[in-house]
Amino acid sequence: MRTSLSSGLAAASLGLLLFGLALQSWQVVLLSLPPIIVLALGSLAPPPRPRIVAVRSVGRERIAAGQEVDVELIVRNEGPVLDLVEVADLFPREFALVRGTNRAVDSLESGGTLVLAYTIRSDVKGDYVLGPVRARSFDPLALGAEDAVLDLRSRIVVAPAMEDLRRVPLQPRRTRPWFGQVPSRRIGAGTEFWGIREYASGDEVRRINWKASARFERLYTNEYEGERSGDVVIVVDARRESFVGTDANNPIEHGVRAALGIADRVLSTKNRAGLIVQRNVLDVVPLAFGRKQLYRILEHLTHVRPGGEWPFAHVATVLSRFFPRDCLVVLITPLQDRGALGTVIGLVARGYDVAIVSPSGLEIERRLRNSTEVDETAYRILRMERVNLIGQLRRVAQVVDWDPATPLALALRRMVTWPRPA
Amino acid sequence: MAAPRLTSPLQAVPLALLVVLEAWVVIDLLGVGDRRWAVGLGILWIANILLLALSAIFRWRLARWVGLVGLGSAYVVMHALVLGVQLVAALAFVSLLIAQVELRILAERFAPLFAATITPAERRKIGGALMRAVVRLAIALVFSIVVPLLTANLSATGLVPVTTIPTAFLLSAALVAVVVLLALLPAMEQRVPDSSIGMTGRKG
Repeated sequence: MRTSLSSGLAAASLGLLLFGLALQSWQVVLLSLPPIIVLALGSLAPPPRPRIVAVRSVGRERIAAGQEVDVELIVRNEGPVLDLVEVADLFPREFALVRGTNRAVDSLESGGTLVLAYTIRSDVKGDYVLGPVRARSFDPLALGAEDAVLDLRSRIVVAPAMEDLRRVPLQPRRTRPWFGQVPSRRIGAGTEFWGIREYASGDEVRRINWKASARFERLYTNEYEGERSGDVVIVVDARRESFVGTDANNPIEHGVRAALGIADRVLSTKNRAGLIVQRNVLDVVPLAFGRKQLYRILEHLTHVRPGGEWPFAHVATVLSRFFPRDCLVVLITPLQDRGALGTVIGLVARGYDVAIVSPSGLEIERRLRNSTEVDETAYRILRMERVNLIGQLRRVAQVVDWDPATPLALALRRMVTWPRPA
Repeated sequence: MAAPRLTSPLQAVPLALLVVLEAWVVIDLLGVGDRRWAVGLGILWIANILLLALSAIFRWRLARWVGLVGLGSAYVVMHALVLGVQLVAALAFVSLLIAQVELRILAERFAPLFAATITPAERRKIGGALMRAVVRLAIALVFSIVVPLLTANLSATGLVPVTTIPTAFLLSAALVAVVVLLALLPAMEQRVPDSSIGMTGRKG
């Protein structure tokens, strides 16, 4: 590969030659020789093409957003001596270098090794690949260079950070026949007292209400409110129009964080959870229980990227096809379009219990801009529109207007009960 | 720690060479009798100083390149059009200018390596690479003065007449051929597939 210096020397030589010819001065013509001689002698000993072997060690293959990961790259020169070689271990632009360096220039003897140790961090979730490794052997006189690319790739999955919703009273209103932790307003297996009835053969002794039995001189048994589980479907609006802000700070990223927190909370309270993500394609995770389901949801949420330009109403079609009507639908959307209102009314009309968590794109955008008078006026107008839309939505569903700068748990706790009682 | 014994001269030599070259041009400039030429060339020289200063302050590579071209142009134009070319001095000037550029590049590339190296073995290894580069540069510079002088001598004895138009055309054609060849050589090289291999693993 030619460098700017070699091109410069060739150009200088040609320039002097033409100048000398124009002046008909043989001395000036001879001045064109030094640059071309330096260039020719430099080209007689070009830098060798790097032949390297590399091993990359990654501290962890799965990390949470914002967590650091240590990477170590050991490069060994399998070819001739490299007087000056630059080695760069490339990583995706979503990562930031925290410590160390991912590129170095060094002199490598045959069989010599070079170690690059660095720490990176990504605030944006995703499935990333580190690599390739690029090596460039320089001519120390800058008259040439040779490149080599080593296709060494390592996968790092950055999972979204999770909102802590442990203390949030989040549960579906309608229950299914399976045991769970949601009071079902029916007699069954549970811990909350419901009433008493006459003792029947086979009743457990510990359920006998001794006070009532003594008063009425007949055996009475306690009955409890059955605790069952319900279904929650989380819908994440990741359409392109929902994207406002930066890679790390936008309603979709915050929505994903909220979705993961809600899924964790729902599943840990023994309910079933499902997921729909509206992006380039519609991701659907059917309802299921347990830790495995959380990992399934996490896997889908990790790959969420803004995309797709279809109407929000498509969600209603998917919901009606794949999910039962007595489930709680948690819509996570920044409410950028007014079409959401019609969709929510349609869902409620079909019998779904709907709750909305709305990470405010308006607040994100406001923080990113230098506030001028015009911006403030625009903000007030857009804020009024948003409040108006949320007010209309609150007639049919519970809506949480969430400023992503604050914890979601705080926004949810402001609600009296969530979702609202029947 | 850093090896100031090596890095300081490495960084000082290009600067010293630049000062010598600038002083050389100024001294020659003072010998220009024609006032219009003196003013024109003086402006070119001041422009080169300004550009080099700007490049040093703001790290503008383009300004440095243009500044050095200005310095060389001031010298060549002054001698070709006003003072007359003294071949040995002119060859020395051009070679020193090339040496200054090369030494600055060497300093930029090797000084950080010396600063970062810790062990004597590493320092020896980098010192060896630097020495090889300096030797190559020295040989090239010697050739760049000797070969044109030899050509001039040969022409003076009449063996190779460089003062005729056909010879000048032949020389220029040969130079163009050399440049084209140098430009095409990398593309003509047979590319062998990368023999490099990589492995990935987990730390700890």
